[in-house]
Amino acid sequence: MIFEPLELGVLTVRNRILRSSVGGRFDNYDGSGTPVRINWDLRFARSGVGAIISSNAPIHPRGAIVPGYAHIDSDDTIPFWRELGTRVHEHGCPYILQLVHAGRERILPFLQWEKGLSSTNEAEPLNGFPAQAMTLAEIQEVVEMFAAAARRAQEASLDGVEVAGANGMLPTQFLSSGINDRRDAYGGPLENRARFGLEIVRAIRKAVGPDYCVGYKISIQERLDELLPWLPKGNTLEESLQMCRWLEEAGADYLHVSAGGGFPHPRNPAGEFPAAQIVKTYDTMLSSGKHTFRNYLTFRTPPFNRAFGWWWTRPLRDREVEGINLGESRAVKQVVSIPVVVTGGFQTASVIARAIERGDCDGVTIARPLVANPDLVRHFEQGLDRAPRPCTYCNKCLFSFVEHPLACYEEARFDSREEMLREALSVYEGVEAPSEAA
Amino acid sequence: MSSEKTNGAAWPAIFQPLQFRNLEVKNRLFRSSISGRFDNYDGSGTEVRVAWDVKFARGGIGAVISSNTPVHPRGLIVPNYSHLDSDDKVPFYVELGKRVREAGAKYIVQLAFSGRQRDIPSVVYDKGLSSTDKPDPIHGFPCERMTRAQIAEIVDAFAQAARRAREAELDGIEIHGCNGYLITQFLSPAINDRTDEYGGSLENRARFPLEVVRAMRKEIGDDFHLQFKISAIDDGKALFPWAKEGTTLEESIQVCKWLVEAGVDGLHISSGFVFPHPRNPAGSFPLADVIRSYDTMLSSGKNTFRNYLMFRTPPVNKGFALLWERRARKLGVEGINLELARAIKREVDVPVLCAGGFQSASVIARAIESGGADGVTIGRPLIANPDLPNLFQQGHDRAPKPCTYCNKCLINFVESPLGCYEQSRYSSREEMVRHIMSVYEGAPLPSEVK
Repeated sequence: MIFEPLELGVLTVRNRILRSSVGGRFDNYDGSGTPVRINWDLRFARSGVGAIISSNAPIHPRGAIVPGYAHIDSDDTIPFWRELGTRVHEHGCPYILQLVHAGRERILPFLQWEKGLSSTNEAEPLNGFPAQAMTLAEIQEVVEMFAAAARRAQEASLDGVEVAGANGMLPTQFLSSGINDRRDAYGGPLENRARFGLEIVRAIRKAVGPDYCVGYKISIQERLDELLPWLPKGNTLEESLQMCRWLEEAGADYLHVSAGGGFPHPRNPAGEFPAAQIVKTYDTMLSSGKHTFRNYLTFRTPPFNRAFGWWWTRPLRDREVEGINLGESRAVKQVVSIPVVVTGGFQTASVIARAIERGDCDGVTIARPLVANPDLVRHFEQGLDRAPRPCTYCNKCLFSFVEHPLACYEEARFDSREEMLREALSVYEGVEAPSEAA
Repeated sequence: MSSEKTNGAAWPAIFQPLQFRNLEVKNRLFRSSISGRFDNYDGSGTEVRVAWDVKFARGGIGAVISSNTPVHPRGLIVPNYSHLDSDDKVPFYVELGKRVREAGAKYIVQLAFSGRQRDIPSVVYDKGLSSTDKPDPIHGFPCERMTRAQIAEIVDAFAQAARRAREAELDGIEIHGCNGYLITQFLSPAINDRTDEYGGSLENRARFPLEVVRAMRKEIGDDFHLQFKISAIDDGKALFPWAKEGTTLEESIQVCKWLVEAGVDGLHISSGFVFPHPRNPAGSFPLADVIRSYDTMLSSGKNTFRNYLMFRTPPVNKGFALLWERRARKLGVEGINLELARAIKREVDVPVLCAGGFQSASVIARAIESGGADGVTIGRPLIANPDLPNLFQQGHDRAPKPCTYCNKCLINFVESPLGCYEQSRYSSREEMVRHIMSVYEGAPLPSEVK
């Protein structure tokens, strides 16, 4: 099952395993791409994944989540993406560009602006970054930015685009009943809250034409209350499913199922809450956000930090990390006829094969287990059910990347700390010095 | 005033060449070691670093002293600064030196080793190497006391990096021997608590830096420029009233004499036994910026609760900033180290450079004419006005919008591109952002547009 091709609209993906959007702060602060990003993606192209979904690529500087990620915010960025696409294609791997506007959801503050754009004026609840409710004109501008970015991806000969509509990004901030507090045509009933995301898909479709793969990533379970108990739940399952039907009608070629109305969230990345790591590297929690005293207590001070760790893993009490979103993707598949891929801890061939056979999904997307084992697909090809040293879902990778190169930081998976560091820094190997590149 | 008309005539003392034993610099202005996190995490250099350094060469500086350049991965102060810790880094420095020279300046690489003092932790190592096993007093980073074998290894790392600098055809080397990094950790009696031949008497505390100088000379020969940057005084009490005073000026004069005997061609005078210190960078303590971006103070150091109170909690933080700034005001900013440099210059026969807030041509010219220093090195005022030397050349005494010593530049660099973050110096926030981001574009300097 795993090694059968998958059709995402006009795009044929060579197998059922896609690298999910994951990438470190490898680029320049101004959003220009570097050879390090190319190295990073090539690592997965070489090892046989069906397709790569890029790191989140901001469609505008104000829509970036964290500095150091390559943007797709102007035509100047096209040559970089073309180069990246060409190099990945040399390994027979399609490349889907993930388009992001983060709105109020950020991981670090930015030099270029103070307030994030959002559906609401309410600050983001975890770090407290301020937000500003978008005017109707700003909404139209951002919709057009998505379309322009998709057109650039097409010009760069990439194979498709995916709208980052999940995990608390700007489209979630509109879609979620737990966040959107507008009273205009973009707030209130589901139809209105869905308007922004659907307009993005239609505008992209208009820009790229019918023969180009357009996907949409959506959090089916938002469950904001699972992160902080005083928050509302967010959309119901039925509301999310309705949105999926509308996305299909609007022209999406595939849906990518995730979870969580914000990031991070106990369901994404599901697993441990590495408090010791977080206080050191995830700066918004302590130094640069607004809720620093609460966060100082919650994350740094015993017993509060232990209590939060207990709270964080609560949703996992009756679920496995691997396949945590399979129930939701099954529900989505029942209401749409386009392919559905799903993320959430996948790293066992038998689990993936069974999910596809049962019709829970058409393919899976993988981030953390591929950070740990970039050659996971090769292991599956050789008949292994799992990599010899699987991902432990410790989440150290996703919380270290703010200050360190994105990599697996679970020392238990390595023979020594030195080996772990070699592996972490290997993404820089073979990066050319400016003199050689010139 | 056009540059043709005056051509530096207004400040002849500044625009005369400075002759070291092995190097001639076209004027008396040096860019001090300063730069942002422009490179890759593994210490490989990027085009952004080249653009950053070339900017100052285009602005008319006589020589660029590089950012602190680790001689060993375990000596990095903050990630994303290019290293000179292996031979494969040489081609980058060949290119960097070439491009800076083409733009009209000499290039001196500053070889550094952090020891127990860092700006943020790195995955590359947990514990710093130091003379002592006591953590640094500000962040509380842990460290281990170097064994004799480790001392020999690091001496050799400095020597090998020096060899690479020569192989890359750079114009000279500066040893980073000040401001609380590894060499200060040996020199300072406020830090060094060893009982072996590297601790105790001044002679013993100076052993490590002198070994570094001699080992470098052995690799690079006698005909390559080598200068040493030293904190003339530790001034421990200026940081914390309970700290030890540390190295005195008399002791530093003796060390400087030994350094010259060992083969140093020039001395560069700074002060302070840790970084940051009210003497360096002298000026304001920008609380809001510290909290937002200088992570070790809050998130990644060990003294986080004390620092949370000290920096983040009113009124404690206001009190801390007030005290810091009062001490800084008392010390003065522009030329803060000049009398120290003068005292050292009287005792040695190599050129002496002086760091510390210089940005007025008249102050600099007087410093040189009065024998206080042979040249000055500039950090923050050049970040604000990269073309300051060109402005002096055109007859200006100061830039129209001088550096305010707000220190926001040196604090913001941890998370944002190094640049001038004093919004009052710009007509708008947007202009400030453009100025800061220009390092990524190779944008022309204001004086080049005119």
